[in-house]
Amino acid sequence: MKPLNYAMLKYFTQVEDACVDDVMEALKSDYGHFKAFKKDSLTSAIMTAEANGLLAETRFEMSSSNELRVYYCAPEDGAATINQYIKD
Amino acid sequence: MSEVVLPSREAILAKRKLDAGFRSKGITIALLSGVFYGLYTAFLTLGMAKGVWADWYGANTAGLSAFVVTYFLGAVGSAVNDSFSAVWALSLAAARGRLGDFFRCLRTKPGFVMVLAALIGGPLATTAYVVGLQLAGSIVVPISALCPAIGAILGRVLFKQELNARMLLGIAICFLASFMIASTSLGGEAPEGQFLGICIAFLAAVGWGFEGCVCGYGTSMIDSEIAITIRQSTSALSTLFILIPVMALMSGSLDSLALVTQAFTSGDSIHWFVISGLCAYLTFMFWYQGNGMCGAALGMSCNGTFSFWGPFCCWIILGIAFGIDGWSMPPIAWAAAVLMVAGIFTVAMNPLDLFKQKKEV
Repeated sequence: MKPLNYAMLKYFTQVEDACVDDVMEALKSDYGHFKAFKKDSLTSAIMTAEANGLLAETRFEMSSSNELRVYYCAPEDGAATINQYIKD
Repeated sequence: MSEVVLPSREAILAKRKLDAGFRSKGITIALLSGVFYGLYTAFLTLGMAKGVWADWYGANTAGLSAFVVTYFLGAVGSAVNDSFSAVWALSLAAARGRLGDFFRCLRTKPGFVMVLAALIGGPLATTAYVVGLQLAGSIVVPISALCPAIGAILGRVLFKQELNARMLLGIAICFLASFMIASTSLGGEAPEGQFLGICIAFLAAVGWGFEGCVCGYGTSMIDSEIAITIRQSTSALSTLFILIPVMALMSGSLDSLALVTQAFTSGDSIHWFVISGLCAYLTFMFWYQGNGMCGAALGMSCNGTFSFWGPFCCWIILGIAFGIDGWSMPPIAWAAAVLMVAGIFTVAMNPLDLFKQKKEV
């Protein structure tokens, strides 16, 4: 089993783009019981990864429940770095 | 042709709010790292002035040599502080459900890089700083203030982080402010080996700059609470089991185990180390987290305010609360604090943006 943040970054290398809700849905079965598995913590982790170039923002929109959804992808350089440091 | 869907005004405003909140949080965390560094310095100094330490640094009835008093006790103080800090980090990681990920991260490449950076920025840089201080005198104090500039340059080279002329100017202003505070401790001495001492102290600044930039970037992969648990555990273990035995060998016939045991069991001082350990945990965690959120240039400039918070906290805690002489605040520190704010502001944003924002409104 990978650490939660590693699993989150790896997820972005496998999809075109995703928002925090998509990440939570994808990782819920393995990490749902983690205390750190909270929307705020994961949003902050995603934004930190974006600030360091591992992820890049693709688009944003308001959801039907009037919540902001920001989508990110792992650009070529970012995905290469993630795969270089985090093995499967 | 695919249809381009523009976000609604509501979404744009919410996104701006999210981005601004993240940036303010990053700057606040990076600034708090400077405040807690000041508190950590004050409580560590207080711990090392009470109990058995008062005798070692005062009457010295144990007859410790100058080498032991100058170098070895500093390493012991650091080991006691870092040990408590590691206990805090491990306990809080356990309470907050991060212990499993802590062990998982240790076995990975980013975890190994964190350990390496902690060794370079922890015992190695600290020892280089102390040796530099001994060889060259107090002139090395402002040299250490170069670490934010070095961290920002390394951040640019290693991780392609933003570093433009305005940010360099801001870093230079912060360095000048730190130099102003440190200059109050400069003496007129010019001991033999001063140049070598300055070079060694510069290596310490490189070590801290490297740690700040690498570990800040590392928090984009490793949770900052886990990163700091790795850092403090590495620092405590390497200081206790590598640095102290090496220094004990260098000092000759010293019964190092007895001294370390006394330091850990001195009832009048140990509670201050418990507090300094908590402050050390918080300052380094915020340092990493702030650098990760803001980039090394801005994060380390905000952290550089420790040059002000160090003397300030020592003045309040040691001078005013405990009435210990010699901890008054040098007046130049207040002027330097204002200059530092200007420097951080210059790193953080282009003043012209303020006018642009006004126009947009």
